[in-house]
Amino acid sequence: MFSFLKHYYPVFVQGTAQTILISIIGILIGIILGLFFVTLRRSKVKLCQYIARVYIAIVRGTPSMIQVMLIYYGLSKVLDIPQIQFLGSGLDRMIPGSIALGINSGAYTAEIFRSGLISIPRGQTEAGLSLGLSDHTTLFSIVMPQAVRNILPALGNEFITLIKESSVLFYIGVQEVTAQALGVGGTLYNFIPPLLVAAIIYFVLTFSMSQVISLLERRLGTAYLKVNQEE
Amino acid sequence: MAGNIIEVTNLEKRFGQNLVLKNITFNVQRSEKVVIIGPSGGGKSTLLRCLNRLEDDYQGIVKFNDQNIMLADAGKIRSIRQKIGMVFQQFNLFPNKTALENITFAPVKLKLLSQQRAIDRAHRLLSQVGLDNKANAYPQSLSGGQQQRVAIARSLAMNPSVLLFDEPTSALDPEMVGDVLAVMTDLADKGMTMIIVTHEMSFAQKVADKILFMDQGIIADQGDPHYIFHETKNPRTRAFLSKVMI
Ligand SMILES: Nc1ncnc2c1ncn2[C@@H]1O[C@H](COP(=O)(O)OP(=O)(O)O)[C@@H](O)[C@H]1O
Ligand SMILES: [Mg+2]
Repeated sequence: MFSFLKHYYPVFVQGTAQTILISIIGILIGIILGLFFVTLRRSKVKLCQYIARVYIAIVRGTPSMIQVMLIYYGLSKVLDIPQIQFLGSGLDRMIPGSIALGINSGAYTAEIFRSGLISIPRGQTEAGLSLGLSDHTTLFSIVMPQAVRNILPALGNEFITLIKESSVLFYIGVQEVTAQALGVGGTLYNFIPPLLVAAIIYFVLTFSMSQVISLLERRLGTAYLKVNQEE
Repeated sequence: MAGNIIEVTNLEKRFGQNLVLKNITFNVQRSEKVVIIGPSGGGKSTLLRCLNRLEDDYQGIVKFNDQNIMLADAGKIRSIRQKIGMVFQQFNLFPNKTALENITFAPVKLKLLSQQRAIDRAHRLLSQVGLDNKANAYPQSLSGGQQQRVAIARSLAMNPSVLLFDEPTSALDPEMVGDVLAVMTDLADKGMTMIIVTHEMSFAQKVADKILFMDQGIIADQGDPHYIFHETKNPRTRAFLSKVMI
């Protein structure tokens, strides 16, 4: 059933690399946007809060496929990205595609960050400030590290969702795993085997991601949750 | 006025429509121990928090070493806060740092001490509060009383010129209270300037130079311990004391 792989495995390798690449870029943009919008959301300025709320509401309330297409067609009107091929896709498709993934993810990441910050008692901030630390140091060196530990599971979920959702970039012609599998299916006149291969690849990627997250959780978690044995 | 570390003049603070501090005026001199007592909701915590500007947007003047802290810019307020230590009812130790790291974090981050000197000082402070053997313990593994003593050591690491205590023993099991009060008494004996909100009346009687009785946002009564505990005719003070002294 999988004998076609002998012939077509490079296509899947390339598609996998493409999926990994757009996912990583998407995750990174998502984290940056998440940090940015959570800052807006928590700002004292009403307009900033409002901008963040609108962004989050729009992203959550519309299909990611439409977001991706709008961003792709929108960006290609204003930006002139060269059609250089990389891992089987043009940069003119990959770049808007990854940005779209990031913009989508940023809304969810911002909400996750917000829940993490809310989970840290106000007293931690007050202790930091009362020692003369700046707002910035208190937030990033005291509150955030604790918040990140609390939100790791939710953040892991979001990254896994993004890896799976990256298949929507197929609609704008990015040759990621799903697109490659469909291409192979078309030439074989049989879609089931290549789609199974794609599913297995997604599973391996998301499973590895969840392993990394639980490793991090253990690293960050046990250090102070476990009662210290030594005197 | 010379000798005053803190001067509060006509302080007023509201939360929305709720006026929680009214016309608060008092001074704290170097080395003075001011104890604030009074029923809960009377504004004691809010008053302490105005002193290091954890509460903003108040009317009136709060001066620290003759500087109006309301007019201080962000950098200035940080350096003022370094000199005003604060000890909280809930300790507020950083749970992801050891006792030692809790103490060294701010002085090192603010570049006041090198890592090594901060560690040396932290060990000295931990010995001072009777906990040097807990240097590497995380807060979670310490009792409430031990956590509060680490929190006091953390404040002391900044070499503050005044310490604010907001009900430091109210969250503790009764058998832990004595250890914390002993550390505070020791600080008082060493000449530390302290402003202490507490319900521990025998402690107040022992260390206070001046007791402020706060009720419904005003300083309803004040005087030395002898006056407050034996002489005052103020019915609110007497009613409050008869409740807490059993
Ligand atoms: N952040 C806040 N927002 C609104 N009201 C507050 C806030 N903090 C305190 N208050 C109110 O201010 C009053 C005084 O509170 P507080 O200073 O905590 O009193 P105390 O420490 O004497 O118990 C109370 O009525 C309380 O509900
Ligand atoms: Mg209080």
